Amino acid sequence: MWEGLFSGMMVGIQTTLVPFNMAIVLFGCFVGSFIGMLPGLGPITAVALMIPVTYSLEPSSGMVLLAGVYYGAIFGGSTCSILINAPGEAATVATAIDGYPLAQKGKPGKALAIAAYSSFSGGTIAVVLLMIAAPAMAMVAKNFQSSDYFALMVLGLTAVSAFAGKGGFLKALLMTVVGLMLATIGTDQTSGVQRFTFGSINLLDGLSFLMLAMATFAITEALMMVLKKQDSTQVFDSKNIGNISDLRVTKAEFKKIAPTVGRSSLLGFFIGALPGAGATLGSFLSYGMERNLASREDKKEFGKGSIIGLAAPETGNNAASTGSFVPLLTLGIPGSGTTAVMLGALIAYGIEPGPRMFVERPEVFWAVIMSMYLGNVFLLILNLPLIPYFARLLAVPRTVLIPSIAFFSIIGVYLITFNTFDIYMMIGISVIALLARLLNYPMAPILLGFILGGLMEDNLRRSLMIYDGSLAFLWQRPTTLAINLITVIVMASPLIQLLLERRKNRFTDADSGSTGTRG
Amino acid sequence: MSMQQSYQNIILSPEKIGALFFLMVSISYGLYAFKIPLTLLSQQETFNARTMPFALSVIGSLLSAMIIILPPTKQEKPETFHHIFSGLDWARAWKVVTMMFIYAFIMTWLGFIIASILFLCAGFYLLGERRIKVLVLASIPLVIGIWLLMSKILGMYIAPGEIFYLMGVIK
Repeated sequence: MWEGLFSGMMVGIQTTLVPFNMAIVLFGCFVGSFIGMLPGLGPITAVALMIPVTYSLEPSSGMVLLAGVYYGAIFGGSTCSILINAPGEAATVATAIDGYPLAQKGKPGKALAIAAYSSFSGGTIAVVLLMIAAPAMAMVAKNFQSSDYFALMVLGLTAVSAFAGKGGFLKALLMTVVGLMLATIGTDQTSGVQRFTFGSINLLDGLSFLMLAMATFAITEALMMVLKKQDSTQVFDSKNIGNISDLRVTKAEFKKIAPTVGRSSLLGFFIGALPGAGATLGSFLSYGMERNLASREDKKEFGKGSIIGLAAPETGNNAASTGSFVPLLTLGIPGSGTTAVMLGALIAYGIEPGPRMFVERPEVFWAVIMSMYLGNVFLLILNLPLIPYFARLLAVPRTVLIPSIAFFSIIGVYLITFNTFDIYMMIGISVIALLARLLNYPMAPILLGFILGGLMEDNLRRSLMIYDGSLAFLWQRPTTLAINLITVIVMASPLIQLLLERRKNRFTDADSGSTGTRG
Repeated sequence: MSMQQSYQNIILSPEKIGALFFLMVSISYGLYAFKIPLTLLSQQETFNARTMPFALSVIGSLLSAMIIILPPTKQEKPETFHHIFSGLDWARAWKVVTMMFIYAFIMTWLGFIIASILFLCAGFYLLGERRIKVLVLASIPLVIGIWLLMSKILGMYIAPGEIFYLMGVIK
């Protein structure tokens, strides 16, 4: 195993250290930080907007770019959370809890520096774990058959829904099904039959993944900003929040956050590696864990600008972002919405993600992993001194920002297909997506369902053919059965949670009732 | 809150209206799946081009129905359409959507450069930017820069607008 690991690392280093790829990593980190820092824009939008650029690159360079954009955007999102308390996406919400109060105390530079060091440490520790876990997982997954893949895809799709939050499980599942429905549009790959094309030649190849990603995230985000009227220039004023250039962190502070960084890196990575959990859960659980472990004195500081409270979610979300590459690279199951977009990009390159990619395209597999080391270093040494300048981006007026997002989304789709039908389709879907978002229906599961739809149907078809039309494939193979059991547990977890909550409420009601009687 | 009001909140809660929409989508999708053409041979197969769409239609309908039937998720703070849709700048959002449609339409006729500059200027103006300098400096260099990057550096062919052929500028 160690020999394989070493040779894989060498392949990755050779691919990453090509000057062009190094420049790509740098560019990806820079653009990711830039987009992630803009209020309201998260990593999914950042990655989706960069996909058209990757089409002109080699697969390994393209994936390295997207990975750079991903962790750059996570890093950028933290800046937005700390300085203006406006997290671009859920993964940086926990950062704002202590980061923003620390900035308000007149220490924005320190807050940003702690966030940067924590992100770097979390990201780097997680890459080491990824380097060990991913090949091991890929070796196990090499023996997977179509029934196992089908079961894994069902698990991936349900896991994303299960982590959708209180009350969101059914809605997330429904959105996944909508995504699967959209995936059936076009010519059926096996039989060559047209499905849901309504006689239009524009739909023969099905919907474009890029078009759907832009419609559900980038354009919808721009329309949401128009609807909400908030002007970003009114929120950020560097003069009000102290000296942003003072990035000094004392030795005592480093000492204080070091154990937090270590623990949160491990927790974040393992959370991220679970299909569906992603960076959001990683950051919140790390924050919760550190709050529980903190001394009584430190506990009082939480929510008021605690450096531990800032370091924990920052480490956790970066480690989880790296961890989410484990299911993506080894099983072809994305761990989050952003990795779902990256999976779509891989498929567009004609690469089938999963254990076969590990064997057939090791340069892509290892280049992504090794580029993360480089990306983390770039993020630290380049972004830290640039923070004061980057912060000015928060003052980009929405009058310029919104049309620019719409412009990049439209030309991103147009320059790939040169077909205006896709643009009309994208605008139509984005209007429906906007309404669905306002009604609290999540968008990431649609994309996930759409991307996995074709592969899922193929594997289901193959499994049924092998088992002569019988559904016995669901339980006859031990691996499939084990995965299906996990799926059942994942599906049952929101129900169990609901029942436990109701039981707790009943007890609370009974207690307050008895107290009331006594009183 | 009166009994009737809370009943109305449950019936008309936005997530249920959304679910009703997706129920209709799932049923229509399932009905349309009957129109997927099948050869005589594939009709005998266990898994054919209609199988997945039928299964998805059933699952989609069941999930939508469950959201409609089960109690709303946020009972302690019921959301109504009024809460969600009021106070939003709908007029401007529709104008942006219309502008995007127009941009897609004129792209073929005027070509990438002219259509994009017009779209960006109109977009900035629509969202409240009135300074001519900003309108020009934020749109023209960006569009020209992207055009140069795509066509000259990455070697992509970006077709000129039809109008140039009609006017005889390009033959």
